[in-house]
Amino acid sequence: MPKLQRHDYYDTARDMNWAFSYVDEKDAFPEELSKSFGIENEKWWGWDEPYKLTYREYVHNQAGKDAGIYSIRSTIARSDMYEKLDEGWKSAIKAHYGAIPIPEYLASIGEARMARFGRAASWRNMASFGTLDETRHGQAQIYFPYCLIDKDPQMDWAHKMAHSNEWGAIAARSLFDDMFTANDAVSTAIQLTFTFETGFTNLQFLGMSADALHVGDIEFGALISSIQTDEARHSQQGEPTLKIMVENGKGEEAQKMVDQMFWRSWRIFGLLTGLSMDYYTPLEHRTMSFKEFMTDWICRQFMDQFQDLGMKLPWYWEEHFLPELDDYQHGMHLGVWFWRPTVWWNPDAGVSPAERDWLEEKYPGWNDRWGKHWDVITENVRAGNMEQTYPQTLPVVCNCCQLPIIAPGLNGKGPRVTSHNGRKLTFCSEVCEWVWKSQPERYDTQLSIVDRFLAGHIQPPDLNGALQYMGITPDVAGDDADKYAWAQEQRLAAE
Amino acid sequence: MAMVPLQGCWRGDFVVQLVPVDDSNTMPEVAAAVAVHAVNLRVPAEDRPMGVWVNGERVPDEKTVAEAGIEPMDYIEAGYV
Repeated sequence: MPKLQRHDYYDTARDMNWAFSYVDEKDAFPEELSKSFGIENEKWWGWDEPYKLTYREYVHNQAGKDAGIYSIRSTIARSDMYEKLDEGWKSAIKAHYGAIPIPEYLASIGEARMARFGRAASWRNMASFGTLDETRHGQAQIYFPYCLIDKDPQMDWAHKMAHSNEWGAIAARSLFDDMFTANDAVSTAIQLTFTFETGFTNLQFLGMSADALHVGDIEFGALISSIQTDEARHSQQGEPTLKIMVENGKGEEAQKMVDQMFWRSWRIFGLLTGLSMDYYTPLEHRTMSFKEFMTDWICRQFMDQFQDLGMKLPWYWEEHFLPELDDYQHGMHLGVWFWRPTVWWNPDAGVSPAERDWLEEKYPGWNDRWGKHWDVITENVRAGNMEQTYPQTLPVVCNCCQLPIIAPGLNGKGPRVTSHNGRKLTFCSEVCEWVWKSQPERYDTQLSIVDRFLAGHIQPPDLNGALQYMGITPDVAGDDADKYAWAQEQRLAAE
Repeated sequence: MAMVPLQGCWRGDFVVQLVPVDDSNTMPEVAAAVAVHAVNLRVPAEDRPMGVWVNGERVPDEKTVAEAGIEPMDYIEAGYV
């Protein structure tokens, strides 16, 4: 039987759409699983992705990538590379390994939903590859830390995180369930593949991969950069979806979805990537500050692409988002360090004199705003008053993003305390409040960790009870990555 | 005598925290309860009296939580005066 050339069969195989005659479109594509936004049937059939490939090519490429990363891993396993890595860097990868693998698997569910309920065949085709990609990412990013459990028990949280009620896990589930696990296929294309993957995951993956290679962590660098090549392909589902929405007069609906998820993504990234870049990566290997990275990747590259599609900057861009680039990550870092027993990695204080000089250079005024807190902490460490370097209560968290409410983000005002159907709610910002109130029925069933504490779910109602509730065991509870060595170095902010 | 959980931020600190007080506490007692979670932890101690602000207004020291109309999970600020 003669084989057809790829160019003869490709478009037929890739993009076979048909008008239903035996069922109603609404039954084949229920609104709850695939929101049409009033754009029906053939109007989706022009969906066209830039990067095309066949299943045969996909398998060939992916097999090659896997052969690469798994052989690097097994070679490195015979060395003591891991043991020799900087402790702060190890914390960065442990934070990553805890936060990411299971959500990657959950993303394969979101991709699989698009593979069935995407409204064009070419889209369903791309999402099929996306499903396989995310399965790969879940597997690889669970296997690598699994191989390191003997060396480091905190690596166990690559699996445990998503099954726990640790506060970061609650925040991660809140974000990812909203974005894809519990989202319809069309909204997922806009909010996951476009907003989150095209914009934010570039930061985490490409940035950390570059830092990994500088630091000498070949294993992590190879893993992460390989994963990102898949991302570059399946994230392209966002743009064609957005184009069809805009062409059919649904630009405002698309804009709203982007605005909601851009902010929610920023919150988690300010926490996870902000810490890694500004504090955990060894000073001599830092290529840029987190703010510089955000400014370059988000504020310039992503937004250029975004505006080329006829979209507008989110309504909160100037007043709420840009000002946060100076401070949000520093507040998150101080909070995570101070509440370090509640996380599954060892926060690196990152405030040795040389590091504080770098922070002041990259963030003029850092010593006045943040160094002053670290001065008090440093004095306590030097004096041996360690009990004063640990918390005795919970921070209040936002009912939307589930993250601690830091004072500078409030612009001199308090948190936004409001109520809905008799329930008192607290938000860290006007934007989080807007996100929540735009779909109250979606968010109102969820209790923040503070709500749970007040409702008596955490027993006993103290730090030990909280650690137990969060699943944090003594062998995992975080402590300072450098065992407080930085506090013995001489200079303080005041000097 | 009833426990009232508050959202408290010490002026000069960086984070809002969960602070339990009693509805019979006066404002200096409330301020002291917030101070426990900030002063000498992240903010230097000072030899000055402490007070409470609600919506930017200083609450008279002698008022209790109940008399001031402060309710569970209201946001208050405390600090040196």
